[in-house]
Amino acid sequence: MNHEETETISRCQQGDQEALKEIYDKYHKKVYRIAYGVVRQREDALDIVQEVFIKLFRSIKNFKGRSHFYTYLYRMVMNTAIDHSRKVGKRFIQSLDEEGSFEPSDGVEKGPERILLQKELEERVKLAMDKLPAEQKAAIIFRDVEGLSYQEMAEAMGCSIGTVMSRLHYGRKRIQELLKDYVMLHDQSRGGQNSSKL
Amino acid sequence: MKDSCSSISRLLEKYFDQEPTDKERLLVESHLQDCTACKGALKSMEELRTAIKVPVEEALQKEDFPWVWQNIERQIRLQEKLTWWQSIRSWLDISPLFQRKVWIPAVATAAVLLFITTQIIFKNTSSYPGASVVEYVESETNNVMVYDLEKAKVTVIWLFEGPEEEALPS
Repeated sequence: MNHEETETISRCQQGDQEALKEIYDKYHKKVYRIAYGVVRQREDALDIVQEVFIKLFRSIKNFKGRSHFYTYLYRMVMNTAIDHSRKVGKRFIQSLDEEGSFEPSDGVEKGPERILLQKELEERVKLAMDKLPAEQKAAIIFRDVEGLSYQEMAEAMGCSIGTVMSRLHYGRKRIQELLKDYVMLHDQSRGGQNSSKL
Repeated sequence: MKDSCSSISRLLEKYFDQEPTDKERLLVESHLQDCTACKGALKSMEELRTAIKVPVEEALQKEDFPWVWQNIERQIRLQEKLTWWQSIRSWLDISPLFQRKVWIPAVATAAVLLFITTQIIFKNTSSYPGASVVEYVESETNNVMVYDLEKAKVTVIWLFEGPEEEALPS
């Protein structure tokens, strides 16, 4: 945390809204990225961004500077996003099992159909993410979306590096299991050209 | 997949996350040279990351955050105009002492003590608590009321100094 940021946080702790605006300008895209990673709905992600900065303004006095400010903020974002998705997210959660069988397109590697396949895969991944426990989901988003290091993740999640690695491992493994049937069909449709096991 | 793949799988994930030590990196790279299964596993992780990350990045690029800051400002302004009752509640929420609920037994004890003290004070100052009128006699000069105090076994005769208006015959 640099001196300028420390000074901004200190002003914000004294109730200075201009300081909050500076923090917002610096972090709102990162906050949105994490929020969107969890809820995957634009309006919900924007609601979370608002909620997080309002909460931050109210509770920033509790930030003692013992950790990085961004890990403190990211933890708040993740908790808010997970709470939000628990409250309203049920309507988005569909079961992979209940969705019916998916018929992949023929083995066309390029062009619109390839794009379609990619979109379908993304959709499948979203649904699989919803099946993960909150901690594993948070670990994957922090690492794969936000690119945090294990150390930063441990700080943001309030756990050890070993726990971070474990959450990542089991989360990824679970997603791969959930996507296994889809990928097998996908590979068959492409004549087994791709040995990827995703 | 080779036997050594199971021992390398955790390192493979560290390698993928760019977190291995130099020694671990060398070990993984040496293993990957002749293990197609682990190469495939690495590719799978990469594809999974892309599938998770790309939609988020696309959504972010399209986003212009309409009115988000304005809404935050408005919400903060609204919260500043709290009523006195909301202020108390908000203070109770914020105060670490009240959050810990340690005040509940103290308040309950204080309430009980207050109740007991009040009872004692009123008992001592009240002239005839629990007294009931057993007889009421009217006359032109005085009205007489006879009270019976059960506990004290005392009969009190109350003489009014003058006739009350409503006690006079019409």
